[in-house]
Amino acid sequence: MQKPPQDPNNAAHPDGDAPAYANRLSRRESLKLLAALAASAMLPALPAGASRADAATGVVDAGHWPELELQPVTAKGYGKDPDLMTPPEAPWPLTLTPAQLSLLALLSDIIVPAEGQSPSASAVQVPTVIDEWVSAPYPDQQRDRLTVLSALAWLDDEAALRFSQPFTTLGAAQRLAIIDDVAYDNAQTPRQFQRMAKAFARLRNMVLAAYFCTPEGMEDIGYMGNVAIAGDYPGPTPEAYRHLETVLAGLGLSGYAYRPG
Amino acid sequence: MNDPVHDVLVVGSGAGGAMAAYELTRQGHKVLMLEAGRHYDARTETPMFRRNADAPLMGASTPDKDFGFYDSTVNGGWQVPDEPYTTAEGTEFLWWRSRMLGGRTNHWGRYSLRFSEHDFKGKSRDGLGADWPFDYDEIAPWYDRTEALVGVCGTNTGLDDMPPSSDGVLQPPPVPRIPELLIAAAAKKHGIEAVPMHRAVLTRPLDDRAPCFYATPCGHGCSIGAAFQTTTSLLPMAQATGNLRIITDAMVRTVTTDAGGLVTGVGYIDKKTGTERQLGAKVVVLAASACESARILLNSKSPRHPDGLANSSGQVGRNLMDSTGASLSALVPALMNRPRYNEDGHTANHLFIPWWGHKAQADGALDFPRGYHFELGGRFAEPGAYVGGDLQGYGPALKQQARAHYGAYVSFALRGEMLPNAHCYMDIDPTVTDKWGIPVPRFHWRWSEHELKQVAHGLETAKAILETMGATVGALPTPEEAIKKGGEIIHEVGTTRMGDSPGDSVTNQWGQTWDCPNLFVMDGGVFASNPHKNCTLTIMTLAMRNSAWLATQLKTGAL
Repeated sequence: MQKPPQDPNNAAHPDGDAPAYANRLSRRESLKLLAALAASAMLPALPAGASRADAATGVVDAGHWPELELQPVTAKGYGKDPDLMTPPEAPWPLTLTPAQLSLLALLSDIIVPAEGQSPSASAVQVPTVIDEWVSAPYPDQQRDRLTVLSALAWLDDEAALRFSQPFTTLGAAQRLAIIDDVAYDNAQTPRQFQRMAKAFARLRNMVLAAYFCTPEGMEDIGYMGNVAIAGDYPGPTPEAYRHLETVLAGLGLSGYAYRPG
Repeated sequence: MNDPVHDVLVVGSGAGGAMAAYELTRQGHKVLMLEAGRHYDARTETPMFRRNADAPLMGASTPDKDFGFYDSTVNGGWQVPDEPYTTAEGTEFLWWRSRMLGGRTNHWGRYSLRFSEHDFKGKSRDGLGADWPFDYDEIAPWYDRTEALVGVCGTNTGLDDMPPSSDGVLQPPPVPRIPELLIAAAAKKHGIEAVPMHRAVLTRPLDDRAPCFYATPCGHGCSIGAAFQTTTSLLPMAQATGNLRIITDAMVRTVTTDAGGLVTGVGYIDKKTGTERQLGAKVVVLAASACESARILLNSKSPRHPDGLANSSGQVGRNLMDSTGASLSALVPALMNRPRYNEDGHTANHLFIPWWGHKAQADGALDFPRGYHFELGGRFAEPGAYVGGDLQGYGPALKQQARAHYGAYVSFALRGEMLPNAHCYMDIDPTVTDKWGIPVPRFHWRWSEHELKQVAHGLETAKAILETMGATVGALPTPEEAIKKGGEIIHEVGTTRMGDSPGDSVTNQWGQTWDCPNLFVMDGGVFASNPHKNCTLTIMTLAMRNSAWLATQLKTGAL
């Protein structure tokens, strides 16, 4: 990962706590430029993912993107011999700001709302799990940190462009108007939303993962293991065997069904 | 400083070292064991029943814990702090180590398949690689004893790739789960059998070890002793004889020799103090792992052994082999939204697909010389840090997609035999040393056409079975893209191979080095070939057999 330039306004706290993550000035300038361009002209399209430098030469279809310059997380990992019996509850300092956490919570509950007996994502602390994830010092997590923080910033930028408000203060219909544009990553996704659709997909997977890991989430998805069984493993239920027979029949495989040797 | 109290000094506490200590102490010999890692107690340190949600990052893999937070590996993984290794320019190799009592047996997959006469005599059949210096019939009783001691579940399938265990040796295997049953039917349509895997997991009590209760992945370790690891079985049994003493945090640097070239003991680093110490012994058994033992030998140079100890053949470090590895997975639409039940089982394969191509190979119908097997994946696994499926949208519809995809993917993991080749070996890096000043291994690696063609065949076969299950597989990767890196399957063997002749092998069939009669190797280094079957059962079986032979030599005064 390329080392981002130092930003004296955003120097990490010496003890590794509360590192700053955004060069908001340059991002705001970029956004202003984009807004002006969007208002002024029909410009040739460039591929998604074009940088701010491209924007200066005139990119509209590629959409806006907050080019965050994050300082690397410098906290220590949990090491090569952590206590497995009592996992660390706070392995490294959490880094999301209250505003980011609020936006993340709102987004998490759009992705996984309460439904029947199942609680919403924020009700089972999914945003905290994601805060821990994006605050971790490991390479995969630092990549996700850039993705998640960019996605959060993008939502506020998009809300500002469309409705002149931060995302969290939008009405439900306004929020979903934006989310509907970025929640589907397929051949029909408009170019200006493609980059955000990929970021949203990553965030969506994290929200789902954190949700299904909870006891409530396991019940929702139907994981029934991690319980001690006395005696032999019982294997599939009669209902599961019946379903398999239907599957085998549907695939023309009934004649090849497994028989213990 | 000689330590005449101990007859045998064993380096390493994993599969080979612990079995050697078990057999030697059982026969009344005093053994001193050196382990480079820290003490580890599986009974008190294993995170049984812990949830992913209770671990940092939902238990995800990190550079600190490459196989996830709860993996039992201590101070190891693909990198060990302060103990680097290097690779030659343009080659890639991964070397998994752990620095703990019991070594890699604390987390291994427990797959325990016997090699067959076919496996031991590959060169006689196709002219490639090397034969082993004994026949299957000679080692079969030792497989029986090892399986009974270790505790292996499975069945005698009667297939040509799976030589039978004697009656009463194997414990009953767990019943198959739904995805395995579907794969078995689809494979059968192609004339390929899926059968119970043999695993070193108890389904019946043994000694003071409890049978599996079908929860907690075996890779976390097993506090109840159901999943075999030396720290809950061979080591405490050997210690109970009163004949075993273990020193942990003891990193062996060299095997020492006298003017006549005979082994006198070892020099090791006491990691707790950083000081170097010497220990004497009548006999030294190296079981530090294939590459660590070869490293010690190559670092044990003397005027009498200028190219490293026991290396008059020039074969130490050569013939480095891993298993081939590749995987293919797909969504099986017919498995979507299937009825839920507890599919943990013993947390790994209940069924697998052994190599079925003996006849086709004999008939010349295949363009590669050696076999492979498939390990089968797909179950309602404990939710973790990543959710499967091409998920779109948000809200209740999204959650329904996630539920539908759960338990609907199946995977085929190919594990195949590679042949030794001149490009795959380790030597000592001329400049890099570890924290203790010990020169480190440098790896050289290149897969040959044999392995690439085998992987291509495996991918095509897996695709055919998947499509028979109604899956859409799409374009296959090339074998060059699909094959795992050297070392990545963690079946590295061959660096001190055994043979019939001192000219082209390092040890005789007893693991006794040709050059030094009181120096033995009892880890995977002695493998003359690397059959597709996972290596640990055979490491243990050879260690038991060869330690019994060593015990006889000690008793008769031959050593």
